[in-house]
Amino acid sequence: MSPFELAEPASLPEAIALLGTENARPLSGGTALMLMMKAGVLRPARLVSLRKLKLDEIRADGELRVGAMASLRALERSARVKAGWPAITRALRTLSNVRVRNVATVGGALAHADPHMDLPPLFTALGARATIAGPAGERSVPVGALYAGYLENTLARDELITHVTIPPMGRRRAAYLKCTTRSADDWPAVGIAVVIDGDDVRIVLGAATDRPTRLAAAEKILKGKLDDPRALEEAAQAAAEEAVIESDLHGSAAYKKQLVRVYLQRTLDEARRPIH
Amino acid sequence: MKRAGQSTETPQVGRSVPRLESWLKVTGRAEYVHNLRLPGMLYGKIWRSTLAHGRIKRIDVAAAQAVGGVHRVVTGDDIRKLVPEPYYGPAFHDQPILAIDKVRYVGEPVAVVLASDPHVAEEAAHLITAEYEELAAVYDEVEAVSSKAIVHEALKPAGTFPDLKHLKGRAQTNVALDFHLRRGDAPAALAKAEHVFEHRFRTQQVMHTPLEPLVSAAESTESSLTIHTASQSPSFVRMEIARLLGWPENRVRVRVPFLGGGFGAKLYIKLEALVSVLSLITKKPVKISLTMEEQFFTITKHASTFRIKSGVSREGRIVARECEVWWNGGAYADIGPRVTQKSGFTAPGPYDIDNVLVDSYALYTNLPPAGALRGFGIPQLVWAYEGHTDMMARSLGIDPIEFRRKNLLREGRPQATGTVLRDAAIEKVLDRLAALMDWQKPFERGTSPVKRGRGIAIGFKACVSPTTSLAAVNINADGSCTVYCSTADMGQGSDTAMAQIAGEVLNMAAESVTVVHSDTDVTPYDMATLGSRSLFHMGNAVKLAAEDAKRKLESLREELKLPADAEVGEVFKKKYGIQQGSVVGTASYVPSYKSPDQNGLTDNATPFWMVGGTGVELEVDTETGRVRITRLVNVADVGTPINPRIVETQLSGAAIMQLGFSLFEKMQFDGSGQLRNASFAEYKIPGLLDLPAEIVNEAVVAEQRNGPFGGKGVGETGTFGVSPAIANAIDDAVGVRLTSLPMNPEAVFNAISAVAGQK
Repeated sequence: MSPFELAEPASLPEAIALLGTENARPLSGGTALMLMMKAGVLRPARLVSLRKLKLDEIRADGELRVGAMASLRALERSARVKAGWPAITRALRTLSNVRVRNVATVGGALAHADPHMDLPPLFTALGARATIAGPAGERSVPVGALYAGYLENTLARDELITHVTIPPMGRRRAAYLKCTTRSADDWPAVGIAVVIDGDDVRIVLGAATDRPTRLAAAEKILKGKLDDPRALEEAAQAAAEEAVIESDLHGSAAYKKQLVRVYLQRTLDEARRPIH
Repeated sequence: MKRAGQSTETPQVGRSVPRLESWLKVTGRAEYVHNLRLPGMLYGKIWRSTLAHGRIKRIDVAAAQAVGGVHRVVTGDDIRKLVPEPYYGPAFHDQPILAIDKVRYVGEPVAVVLASDPHVAEEAAHLITAEYEELAAVYDEVEAVSSKAIVHEALKPAGTFPDLKHLKGRAQTNVALDFHLRRGDAPAALAKAEHVFEHRFRTQQVMHTPLEPLVSAAESTESSLTIHTASQSPSFVRMEIARLLGWPENRVRVRVPFLGGGFGAKLYIKLEALVSVLSLITKKPVKISLTMEEQFFTITKHASTFRIKSGVSREGRIVARECEVWWNGGAYADIGPRVTQKSGFTAPGPYDIDNVLVDSYALYTNLPPAGALRGFGIPQLVWAYEGHTDMMARSLGIDPIEFRRKNLLREGRPQATGTVLRDAAIEKVLDRLAALMDWQKPFERGTSPVKRGRGIAIGFKACVSPTTSLAAVNINADGSCTVYCSTADMGQGSDTAMAQIAGEVLNMAAESVTVVHSDTDVTPYDMATLGSRSLFHMGNAVKLAAEDAKRKLESLREELKLPADAEVGEVFKKKYGIQQGSVVGTASYVPSYKSPDQNGLTDNATPFWMVGGTGVELEVDTETGRVRITRLVNVADVGTPINPRIVETQLSGAAIMQLGFSLFEKMQFDGSGQLRNASFAEYKIPGLLDLPAEIVNEAVVAEQRNGPFGGKGVGETGTFGVSPAIANAIDDAVGVRLTSLPMNPEAVFNAISAVAGQK
């Protein structure tokens, strides 16, 4: 790992100003960043720690508002989240391992843009929005719009996610299922998030594609037809066809398409299971 | 651990003594080389080849040398000035300390940057460049037999170990060793057999992943060298370093504290030659600590191909077997030739077959070197012969356990080499396996899409021979006891076992015995901690040394006319006028052995056999191919367990390790020999969530009569049957047969789809 300077600003404007300096990178939990630095893939001159910015609040009054520096573990253990957004709690239980969840942050998990992460597809399906602070002030985008490609986000170098806002579930039902092809705690080969809102279904695929991807054709087939076994089969087929999937160490493209077919149905079943 | 009907009469042996080092380990005070810092020490960072096979035209180290804080950059040319023939290895002297003339695999060490700051060394190493003339490369072990790409133009047998003295290698080929066994007339018997079955099996290249990566440090003077190293074989390191330098062995000292896992990765000689010459060149202490990633480029487990053919009589007896095995040894032989031979002769399996033919080949390829990994080639063989056995049983419509019973190699019968089986409870292991699996009872098959199946497999292994262990046991003036032996405690609990054995002889609690760790200036010679040999060989040596000390103490009592029950302190007081002094017992142990003849036959191939059987119950998700093991049963003949709790954790630990090799672990190379998953991010080993819901371990009631207090080795036994038992259970569940490892979900799903497509 190459030497670097560590800055620990106490205010957001200060952090943003520091991020504007040459070859600076934000440091939140560091679980991904440190591995990339050790591998020499990333060689920042300055790390800007966000831990003094007081961005770790989790608030649930109607909508859920999660500070970017809230740890994954804090989100997992929040009773309010479990009561109001149980799919998030369940997804977190199998996200990496407890050691990582203790230090990794929600903001980092969203900004990293590794398609194998669990929260981006789930948050996208839930209609979450990320609030982003930069030199020109704040802006807000749907979580799905944070991603430009594999390990590429749409944030400017001096922008930071400050928090993410997730609308109340209301009558909506959600589920996220993933499938690993090596060890149980491996990065997933396929992750599927489903949100059912009356007749409407929202499906977001992760891991197999280079970024979280809405499966619009499958959604269209399923609209109002969730109880029709033939529509389910057609939707699974359409999902496998519309997703742009490449072969990698997790499996061949053909196999991962099979996983998409199977896991779409299983995730829909999971979302519709009466007891959560 | 289940263990029916065996009581122990003796206070130390058979008692689950908690490990002596537990307290040190959980309080973070156990000594590891990883934590060692010597005054003025330089850290070395290795720069590695990016090409699988090429002639070195130029290595440019100028930019690295110019980095502030860099002490020196060293290449193979610098090493040759100190050591004219800088090649090492246990079977062949084929591996250069740093690449010379050629590089033979991606990841081969080419240069080392030395700096007092490890981060500076690492940064500077990025600036080294090299120019190569690319040569044709070969990666597949079967292609390597006839390939025009030749990894080594000249072969240099080492002649170090008595069992490998015959090595010659075939010049201008990639064959490092070919082992042949001929017993009876297999071709003729096959021609006459009622049924003939032939199958081909493959295993993949995997890595040991010890959680403490390889690490060595050396400090030198003009005339002496001290090496601190995480090694399983300090005596071999000393001998090999002395040979390379042309020094007498007493000027080379090798110290080994605890190891954070070994599994065969830390055997023979790895980083030790490199840190030694770097220390002599720089006249400073030098340490090199590999990263987990670098271990993938250091030592691995052989990929293999095994063609197996059997003839079966009308009555279901196996009358003939042909085995052809190709071992992918990678770019340097390491101990591959021994794997080829020692495993080769058990390739026909634990079956009583009159006509046997074995051809076993160690091949060089342009991949990272392969050596020993928890089983010395046996898991690769059992994978094939136990899959083959089940396939034959299925085809013949005979119950798989019944078919094995019909053909089992029983006590007193000659094994393929002609060596008569003694103290090998193969039949008992099979019987207990069948009982623990409730084999006679109906089995719940599951409902679509999840199908259930069960399977078993048994394997055996001959302990490597002949090998020597020496030990010393010191009775101090206050009656306390110190054991000196060069066995490395790498987590297997050898310190505790040796203390139990010495304590048993001297009638004292194992907890009060101290075991001195390997230090070649202090502890006597030992061949190595490998192949489950230490409990038997070193255990025998420690037992004999303790008996020697006891005898000496007794004769001292007689000489001093003291009663037989006189306290030790009294003996010394009377002898020396003060309660000081020591009584040192010493012993060596080397079993008898006979080299195989030109047909691979010998009536004394091994001092003992290890027998292991595995049963699994599993679920197959037919839509994804994912396999979930719900019950894993490990049964073994370990002789008399010296420490039942450690025996149990060795059995389950070995089985879990093999579970990873069975289901998903695989080093994945691209078409140019580049490893694509050299890190824990992309090379996955089993975690807690991968463990079967139920694991049952049992040591059958048995005794190894020539072992210390009836004991023998257990470190590898749990690996033998795991992979084929899983394949057999998958076949049982969904009617598809996997013949290639790993059995990952995609492979299982594809096999299911292929069968469905045929229907």
